[in-house]
Amino acid sequence: MLDWNIMVHYFPFLLKATILTLEISLLSLVLGLIFGLSAALCKLARNPFLRMPATFYIWLIRSTPLLVQLFIIYFGFPQLGIDLGPFMSGVLGLALNVGAYNAETIRGGIISVPRGQTEAARSLGMTINLSMRRIILPQALRIILPPLGNNFIILIKDTSLVSTITLVELTLTAQRLIGSTYKPFEIYLMAAALYAVLTTSASLVLSYLERRTRKEAR
Amino acid sequence: MAFNSINRTDVPMIEICDLEKRFGHLQVLNKINLKVNPKEVLVIIGPSGSGKSTLLRCINHLEEPTGGKIFFEGTLINDSKKNHKAFERHINQIRCRLGMVFQQFNLFPHMTVLENVMEAPVHVLKQNKSEVRDRAIALLDKVGLMDKTGAYPGMLSGGQQQRVAIARALAMEPKAMLFDEVTSALDPELVGDVLRVMEDLARDGMTMLVVTHEMGFAEKVGDRVIFMADGVVVEDAPPHEIFASPKEKRTKLFLAEVLK
Repeated sequence: MLDWNIMVHYFPFLLKATILTLEISLLSLVLGLIFGLSAALCKLARNPFLRMPATFYIWLIRSTPLLVQLFIIYFGFPQLGIDLGPFMSGVLGLALNVGAYNAETIRGGIISVPRGQTEAARSLGMTINLSMRRIILPQALRIILPPLGNNFIILIKDTSLVSTITLVELTLTAQRLIGSTYKPFEIYLMAAALYAVLTTSASLVLSYLERRTRKEAR
Repeated sequence: MAFNSINRTDVPMIEICDLEKRFGHLQVLNKINLKVNPKEVLVIIGPSGSGKSTLLRCINHLEEPTGGKIFFEGTLINDSKKNHKAFERHINQIRCRLGMVFQQFNLFPHMTVLENVMEAPVHVLKQNKSEVRDRAIALLDKVGLMDKTGAYPGMLSGGQQQRVAIARALAMEPKAMLFDEVTSALDPELVGDVLRVMEDLARDGMTMLVVTHEMGFAEKVGDRVIFMADGVVVEDAPPHEIFASPKEKRTKLFLAEVLK
């Protein structure tokens, strides 16, 4: 039923494209964490000039589809003189998107740390920043990590959407190979398997991190 | 301890003038005036909701007073003339010299006992880590928890946790200590150890403000006891007076109820 020769022959092309997918994922992951943490802290701030932009950003991203966001950045921004190219557009779009979801996850984790922890830290003369860094965030991390991991797994799969803005990653590579081989089943099956390898590896790393933070706790 | 109150110095450790705290329409503290001298142990008693804890929390500015003035060693604490950043620096400096222990211990659960005690001296006062470690171990020895330095708070009993919390506050070498119902969350058999640590501290000359329901402790260790109700100081007297012959009717009723 399956054409094994096709699969063996084209697998290296897909594997190579997977490296690009991995690069996009990792870069958006790091940026998405920075965006998420910044937006979460801003949304928790008392100052409305920090809180309002963060609230707006989270609302804007969560209320529109990722695909449209990518199109606006890649096709729309050049009209304003901002031409980022497919790679940067893709990474920026994905990072902004996952950042908004991360922000809500991180904010929830911070809120769930009991108020007495902040009070104890402050009563010892800690600044707001120091108590956040040393006391609150490490405790929030335990709560945040599982849902954050979920966001990242979704992110890895969402990188397939950047195939629509001409970035030749795993999905677009698969499409192009199908264009010349007419073997969509074999090629897409391999692509799916490669995505599964990426997401499963991410899950394993995450559950390792979860175990580690839990062990430190008690 | 009673004999300490003879050695009065000029500047009170803490001075409170016309202190007010309002939460919306609720007046929690109403024109409180109070002086606490160095080495004095002031015990604050009163029914729940009388404003005892709020008073304590106003002193280190965990609650922001809505009126009046609080001085610590002659320095105005709630200085509204300072801008936000300057005030932050100012209040943090004061908090470094004014320890607080909470009803719910509030130990940092992600750190060991030793790390809890070392945290603020190392990261706030930027003191040398190995010197802080020596001091922290000595303090943990003093509160009877030498063998628990590597344990996490979740592995300790409430009484042990509270003694760590006291050591954590003492590691900053504060000039005065605030105790906010520190034995209220403990099982009865664990209360004694914590009170003993506080008694030792009083004997060593620490200035202490103690909100408590432990009348035995108030009578034995306090230099002065104030009875609060409805946000005002109803009676302010040495312990033997307030317990043996309270002047105010409300004090009598309260003591009759709790000493029953």
